[in-house]
Amino acid sequence: MEFDPRIFIELFAETIQYWWVIVPSIVLGLVVGAIPGFSAANTIIMLLPLAIVLPIDVGFVAMIAIYCSSRMGAGIPAILVNIPGTAGAAATPLDGYPMTQQGRGQQALAISFTSSVLGGLITTVVALIAMPWLAEVAFYLHSVEMIVVMLFGISLIATIATGDTLKGLTAGFFGLMIGAIGADVVYEMPRGSMGFLELYDGIPLIPALVGLFAISEAFIVIDRDTILTERGRAAVLHSTGWAPTIEGVRETLKRWWHVVWTSIIGLFIGIIPGAGAAIASFVAYQQSKTYSKTPELYGTGHIEGLIAPEAANNGVTSGTLVPLLILGIPGGATAAIMLVVLQYHNVTMGTDLFVNNPKLAYLPFTAMAVTYFLMIFTIPLLARYMSHVTVVRTVYMAPVVIAFTLVGAFVSRDYIFDMYLALAFGVIGYIARRTGYHVAAILIGVILGPLLETYFIRALKMSQGDISVLFSSTLGNILWVCLFLNLAIPIWFERRNGRRKVRSA
Amino acid sequence: MTEEALGGANAAAKPLQKPRRSASAEMIIPVAGIVFTIYYFSTVWEAPWTAQVSSFFVGCILILCSVAVIVRLALAARRGTMTLDLETLIAPRNFIVKRLALLALTIGYIFVIRWFGFTLTTFIFLMLAMLVLNEGRHPKLIVALSTVLALGGWLLFVVAFEVRFPAGLFETLMRGIL
Repeated sequence: MEFDPRIFIELFAETIQYWWVIVPSIVLGLVVGAIPGFSAANTIIMLLPLAIVLPIDVGFVAMIAIYCSSRMGAGIPAILVNIPGTAGAAATPLDGYPMTQQGRGQQALAISFTSSVLGGLITTVVALIAMPWLAEVAFYLHSVEMIVVMLFGISLIATIATGDTLKGLTAGFFGLMIGAIGADVVYEMPRGSMGFLELYDGIPLIPALVGLFAISEAFIVIDRDTILTERGRAAVLHSTGWAPTIEGVRETLKRWWHVVWTSIIGLFIGIIPGAGAAIASFVAYQQSKTYSKTPELYGTGHIEGLIAPEAANNGVTSGTLVPLLILGIPGGATAAIMLVVLQYHNVTMGTDLFVNNPKLAYLPFTAMAVTYFLMIFTIPLLARYMSHVTVVRTVYMAPVVIAFTLVGAFVSRDYIFDMYLALAFGVIGYIARRTGYHVAAILIGVILGPLLETYFIRALKMSQGDISVLFSSTLGNILWVCLFLNLAIPIWFERRNGRRKVRSA
Repeated sequence: MTEEALGGANAAAKPLQKPRRSASAEMIIPVAGIVFTIYYFSTVWEAPWTAQVSSFFVGCILILCSVAVIVRLALAARRGTMTLDLETLIAPRNFIVKRLALLALTIGYIFVIRWFGFTLTTFIFLMLAMLVLNEGRHPKLIVALSTVLALGGWLLFVVAFEVRFPAGLFETLMRGIL
């Protein structure tokens, strides 16, 4: 299973010949990614009959192209209207939307697209070369280690809450409590579901995302003429041509190292089955802020705060394929659907695939590389023309946002109930935003709450209720130390900087 | 899009009216958190210990944080640095009616969609919501926009992506024609 560069080069040249599949798939992926609720997984499910009928290589390339481009598309509404297209883009508006409000929407889109493409390309190459070793990561991570990984994600709540820690923690733990609604995975006992059968499986993520971000935003912005601040409006109206796009690409390339390491975070988290892009983007954002020289700028439209989640959530795309191809364990929902298609074609995953059919084994990675390469050409056009959405008056935009995002809430399970749920989350989001509780902190809780609980129950069940199991594995203990350092280092930096300021004064 | 729809270069942005911080409004989230946690605890009381520990851990921290926030807000209100009204939530006051109307229309949209179907309901919702928010100005533009958007949504969601919305009059008619 050693990596052979000749096969890769040969395959890359061959994969470019699939441009006729890749280009329409990119367009489709960008569209579905940009509509909240329409994930790549949903789209591939809808195209499943086609993917099965097509030759395996063509179907596989189409699925990969949709997967990659939908990640990039999800950043568009997150930046322009504060509505993440998927949960993986939930950390994108933290700095992307303030940039838009300042009239830097075109630049923000260019930064998002460039980091997405670079992050995707870098992690594809890394995954390809280091695949045999990376696959082992999934073997070593059990419930205890996963609890610590989840806590890494949750620690972002503290990062977001720097303005008012107590309110940030209240919002985050409120989200965790809401995320605990529904039956637990081990005992199947419904909790906190208020008698609604629709909540038996827990809180569906898309209605929560749509409500907290889109519906609440729509109700808030109607007292303004546009979503832009006055300065932002002037900046947009006076900006001409391609300059902001070029500036965005240049600023991202200047921070190439930031793209590299945040996308690698995404790659590693993508390898862990079940972790996903949402956790990766929040962890990358948190790490980026922790080790930044200017952490106070995060949340105000800081370029590095936009690069981190976008590079990371594209890194996840490559990561999810590693355990799929080597172990037959899908790293996420989209990878699971790909597994179904491959199994239909009698493709056996694992080492045999690389020995008997190396071209098919490496095809997803070359398809990813070609997709990201072709997406480079979409950056200038999308960044320049999509950014004009921001000057549409809110009296027209707000109803459109409400109607079309409610569709997204419906799509995930085909329940009208989920539209009401999105509206309920919209009310929570409206109150939270107006009273200074961060909706992203609530969302992190909703996303991570059930996952944390699942791993917690599993760990306790295996240890027969002995809580010391949390410190029973070497890797787990190393991760606990990393988590502790991760929380302590920013405090240490802050105090050191404070002392320096006092001395210099 | 017309210049009106795009906001126009000369259309002046309405000035933002900064709402005053009100303690009672900021207490809503922590109070809701406490109430929900107590209700949640009542539903896991009978569960095995391993299933309780995670929710009790999270719930207790939430209650502690919420109580701390409420005490802090109450003290601020007592000092007179915060108010005890809901101004933060409802400001600016001249938008209360519009916000409530939009909320009512949204509830109506979700309620009616099962009978009227996606296209017709979306058209009516968009038209009414835009008319309310725009105070009845530019009705022709609004009707045109609503028509285009509802039909565009039908093509994208119902025809292309085959979203399984309850079929209404329009969808049934179009299925017959196509």
